Amino acid sequence: MPAAPSAASSPAPVEALDQSLSPECRVPGSKLYTLARLKAVKAALKEKRPIHVLSIGSSSAGLGASASYPVKLENALEQALPDVQVEVEARGLPGEVASGAGERLRSMVAEMEPDLVVWQVGTNDALARVDIEAFGEALDESVQWVKSHGIDIVLIDPVFTESLADDAYYTQMVRTVQEVARREAVPLVHRYAAMRFLSTQRTTEAHMLGRHFRLNDLGLRCMAEHATRAITLSLLQPESAKEGMKDGIKDPGKGDAVTADHATSDTSKTDPAQTGTPGPSPAPKQP
Amino acid sequence: MREPNAIDFWRGFALVTIFINHIPGNFFERYTFSQYGISDAAELFVFLAGWSIGLATRGRDGLPEPRLTTVLRLLSRTIEVYRAQITIMALALAMIAGCALYLDNPLILEWHNAGGFFADPIQTMVGVVLLTHQLGFFNILPLYVVLIAIAPAVVLIGRVSRALLLALSLSLYGASLVFEWNFPSWPGEGDWFFNPLCWQLLLVLGFLSNEATRESERLQRLWRRLMPLGILIVAVGVVLAVLELRPDPMLAPEPRLVFTFDKTYLSPARLVHFCGMVLAFQGVFALIAPHVGRLARFLSGLGRNSLAVFSMGSLLSLAGQFVRFQTGGGIFVDISVVGSGLIALGFTAWFVEWRSRRPRPTRKAPDAASPADAPSSSPSA
Repeated sequence: MPAAPSAASSPAPVEALDQSLSPECRVPGSKLYTLARLKAVKAALKEKRPIHVLSIGSSSAGLGASASYPVKLENALEQALPDVQVEVEARGLPGEVASGAGERLRSMVAEMEPDLVVWQVGTNDALARVDIEAFGEALDESVQWVKSHGIDIVLIDPVFTESLADDAYYTQMVRTVQEVARREAVPLVHRYAAMRFLSTQRTTEAHMLGRHFRLNDLGLRCMAEHATRAITLSLLQPESAKEGMKDGIKDPGKGDAVTADHATSDTSKTDPAQTGTPGPSPAPKQP
Repeated sequence: MREPNAIDFWRGFALVTIFINHIPGNFFERYTFSQYGISDAAELFVFLAGWSIGLATRGRDGLPEPRLTTVLRLLSRTIEVYRAQITIMALALAMIAGCALYLDNPLILEWHNAGGFFADPIQTMVGVVLLTHQLGFFNILPLYVVLIAIAPAVVLIGRVSRALLLALSLSLYGASLVFEWNFPSWPGEGDWFFNPLCWQLLLVLGFLSNEATRESERLQRLWRRLMPLGILIVAVGVVLAVLELRPDPMLAPEPRLVFTFDKTYLSPARLVHFCGMVLAFQGVFALIAPHVGRLARFLSGLGRNSLAVFSMGSLLSLAGQFVRFQTGGGIFVDISVVGSGLIALGFTAWFVEWRSRRPRPTRKAPDAASPADAPSSSPSA
């Protein structure tokens, strides 16, 4: 990435917020995502065919209301990737990854054959307090399986909520999702870290049920944006060191992305060494 | 009250298994038979429901009751099951919301598909009543509502021709597998977790097995002679389950669902495994009942009152999940959660029978063996 050399300089105490996100969802890039390559989506873009996204997980039931997460994800992705048709199919995934949900995931993927799976993972397992090691192994297996069929996958880790901030089991769960994403080199949306950051922001917004519930609502609202950011930036990842940006996506945002990275990298002060995250680049434009 | 019998015993056994399996992650989960085969307690339950429909729609003399009585009896049972589903859904959603509020923990709102209800209550409320919005673990009764609703057709066609009934049922099952027909979810995308178009076959098989076996000595001997085959199938199931061997749905040839081990569509592998289980365990009750009197009485009691016990079991397992979550689980928590749950299930069964015995002694169903029998002798869910 062109951004790397300059951005790797010593991390500043305060990291700039990602300005491409809605004001209430803004968090520093390093708290937001870990990037990795998305081959299948790139291939779909190259062939100029619609991108089929399968969104699964607790809030992914795919409700009809326009405010719901899958609808938002589709809109946000279409805005971020102009001239590309994105079709998001959403499914809830009942059960635990550690016991059977992986099997159901396989059936769903086989039924829909998507280009990309966006998987919000860990909630049910955390609620059932399943054995973390079993969870990690089952998750790893499922991710490997999706990849082995030439389908891209993006993971979203569980929500942050203050009553579980000191829960060792829960943080271990979040860490396990991160480890699997790193091991399998798949993009990860740091929903937990992003929400924890948002929880520290001052706000005038109140919630009938108290601030934990306000944060939860906010997290839900922002998740589509955060996932979209991780996906579009992952698409800008070079396919390999040699090919560089040659195979970058052919959307009008591409040229901008490279230069914008250069332009913003000095001020972005992210620490990619930590998360492999490039600075907050406004790459694919979001209004 | 009916004496303990094989049907009630196995139904009670299925209820206990479902209760334990619906507290995921608990210690006893790995010792239920569901972990050692391709099919599980859901199959057993639907099959036995079909079996009891056959029993319930005949008089004490074994002759079929009038057609209109059958239709009305099953209609009334459908309403009962629907009412139970709406009640436990309302209670479950309230338990989830209440638990989230009490623990100040919005994560709980995302419990198995409940998030949709809290994020979008306007449409989801309609979906709950239409049975098209189902929570995880609360998706069996919607299947039963549909199955009991179509049961009058099953019984009446079966009285005309059993072969016709089986042919119709198999065709619907086969077509649903090949064309992937299912009932839709709404407002969420996707389909029902238990596809009634496929699972109706088990109900019909249960109904037909009872009908055919009651008359034919030869068939009964045939079942017994097939027992080794059943044992072989069960053994293969254990090996496949323990080694986690199953077909990769992406690599399965079309029609894919014929070859995978799919629960939603009751794939043939699950069906074959279940039939093997029936063959293998058909004589077990008679063999063990004299030695485990208390257990047989306990499980039969649960089985006699299966709708009430299932409903309470669903809510108790949800409560058990919250207890495990908040305490962090562990063997002692699991023993107390499962132990107190089983006691509560036993109490539920006793209480239902006490209620139907005591306060309403005049409401004697003319066709049932005893008043206590009336609510449970109808086809049970």
